[in-house]
Amino acid sequence: MASAHVIALRGGKVSGTELDPAEIQVLQDLTILAFAPFVSGAIAHFEARLQGRRGPRILQPYYDIAKLFRKETLVPEDASFVFLVCPVVAIACYLTVPLLIPVLTNYPLPLGYMGDILGGGFILALAGFAVALGAAETGGPYAQLGSSRAMTFGALIEPSILFVTFTVALVTTTDLPYFEAAAVRSSFAQFVHPAHLLAALAFFLVVLSDTGRIPVETHASTLEFGMIDEARTLEHSGPPFALLKWGSAMKQMILYVILINVFVAPWGLAGSGQLGAVLLAIPVFLGKALGIGAVFAVIDNSFSKLRLFKITEFMAAAFLIAVLAVLVLYLVGR
Amino acid sequence: MHVFATLVAAPSTVTDGAETVAVLVLLSQYAMFRAGLSRSQVRLYAFQSLSVSALALIVAATRHIGELYVLAGLSLLLKVILVPSVIMRVLKEVRGDLAGSHRFGVATMVLCAIVLSVFGVFVVEGMPIHSKSLPLPALALAAAVVLVAFLLVIVRSDVVSQAVGFFSLENGVSVASLVLAAGLPFIAEVAFLFDLLVAVVVFGLLMRVHHGRAATLSTRHLERLRG
Repeated sequence: MASAHVIALRGGKVSGTELDPAEIQVLQDLTILAFAPFVSGAIAHFEARLQGRRGPRILQPYYDIAKLFRKETLVPEDASFVFLVCPVVAIACYLTVPLLIPVLTNYPLPLGYMGDILGGGFILALAGFAVALGAAETGGPYAQLGSSRAMTFGALIEPSILFVTFTVALVTTTDLPYFEAAAVRSSFAQFVHPAHLLAALAFFLVVLSDTGRIPVETHASTLEFGMIDEARTLEHSGPPFALLKWGSAMKQMILYVILINVFVAPWGLAGSGQLGAVLLAIPVFLGKALGIGAVFAVIDNSFSKLRLFKITEFMAAAFLIAVLAVLVLYLVGR
Repeated sequence: MHVFATLVAAPSTVTDGAETVAVLVLLSQYAMFRAGLSRSQVRLYAFQSLSVSALALIVAATRHIGELYVLAGLSLLLKVILVPSVIMRVLKEVRGDLAGSHRFGVATMVLCAIVLSVFGVFVVEGMPIHSKSLPLPALALAAAVVLVAFLLVIVRSDVVSQAVGFFSLENGVSVASLVLAAGLPFIAEVAFLFDLLVAVVVFGLLMRVHHGRAATLSTRHLERLRG
C-alpha cells in the first residue's frame, strides 16, 4: 500500500471577489442544471453530423423541456401519487450529487464530505429506483419491461463500480472523489499508472452503460424491445416527463463530471474561491465534457448494439478491468 | 477562506513500464477468450506478441543488454509477422470462419478466468522470493497469463483456439523470463523461439490433418466414443 502524505496546503488571503463556499456549491448545482441539456444537445448534433444528417439544433433539448412544461399532465388510471412524485424525487437526487463531486473546484466544499463515491452512487441508484418505481406504477408493459431491465443491468454493473471504488480507496486511503482527483494531478507517473488507467477504463465502460449508450442501448431508438432506460419514461407526459428528460441529461453530465474531473482529466478546476477562477472553470469543464461526449458519439457510430443477453459479457469485461486494477494496485502496493 | 489539505498517495514508481506491458499482455489474453472468430484471435495474438517485443526493448534499454535488442527483433519477426501469417494462411485454405466454440457462456468463462488470475497472483506473491530488484507485479501477471492461456486451451473446442492458446502461453513465459532473468544467455532465449516454431509446424499440421479428416476445425466430435 502506497504511503500517504500531505500536499497542497492552501491558505492566505487572495485578492479579488471571493465567493462564499456555499455560493460555489450552489453554482455547481446550477452548472449541472443549466448546461446538462446543452451537452446532450451538442452530442446529439455531433452524432447526427457523423451520420451525414443535419441533426437537431444544439439547443433543442431546452425547447423540448420548455414545450413539455407547457403541456398537460396525463396520469394512467390506476397509478397512484407515486407516479407523479417519482420524477421530483429523481431530480432532487440529481441535484444532491453535484454537492459531493468536484464540478468546479479542486478542493472540497463544505458539503463535499457529506458523502463519498459510494454515497454518490447510492443517491444515483435512488434516482434510478424512483424512475423505475414510477414506471412500474403505470402498469404499461413497456415501461415495466424497461424498469425491470434497468434494475437488472444496474445491479450487474454495480460490482464494477465497487471495484473502481476499491482502487480509489487503495490509492488515496479514502473514497472521496476530491482526493482521487488530487492524487491523479500529483504526478504524471500516477496518471499513467496501469491501475489508474484500468480503473478509468472500467469507469468509462460503466458510464457507457449508465448513460444508455451503444453497445448497451441505442439511446435514440424508438423500438421498444431494445430499450432499457428509455422505456421507463414512455408513460409520462407534461411537466413530470420534462423533469425526467432533464434529469436524464443531468445524470449524464454528473457521470461525465466524475469521469473527467476525478479520473481522466482533473485539470482546469478552480483552485480558489475567486469569482473569475470559478466562472472560468465552467467553460473549461464544458469543453472537456464535449470532448468526452464526442468520444461517446464516435463509439455510438462505430459499434453495433449488443443483443440483450450479450450485455452481461460487456458487464463482465468492465468487471474484469476493474478487478485487474485492484490486483495491480495490490501487487505494486506491497 | 478555507484551508484544504489533501492526502495523496506517493506515486508508486513504474520503473520500466514492465507492469503496463504485462497488463496489456494479460488484457489481450482475456480478449482472446471473448473473441468469437478465429481470425480475431490470431490478430490478438499478434498484438500480444508485439507487447512482448516492446517489453524486450524496454528491458534492453533500461538494463543495457544488447542481446535483448536482437531478441526483440527476432520475436517481432517470428511472433508478430510469421506465426500469425502462417495461421492466417491455413485459415484461408479452410474457408468459413469458425465462430462460437465456447463451451460455456463468455461471462461465466471470464469470471472463471478472473478467479484463476487472482489465484496465480496470490501463488506468486506467496512464494518466498522477495527481493527489491524483482518486479513482482509483472511476474505475477505473467503467471496469470499462463494460467488464463491454459484455460483458453481447455474451454474452447476448436483447433485454432488451442494453437493460439498454446502460443500465447509461450508469451506469458517470455514475459516472466524477461522480467525475472533478463540476462539469460542469448542462446537459451532463442531456443524458446525455436520451440515455438516447432509448435507452429505441429499445430499447422494438426489443423490441416484435422480439417482434412473431419471437414471442420471444431474438436467437439472427437470427444465422442465410437466403436
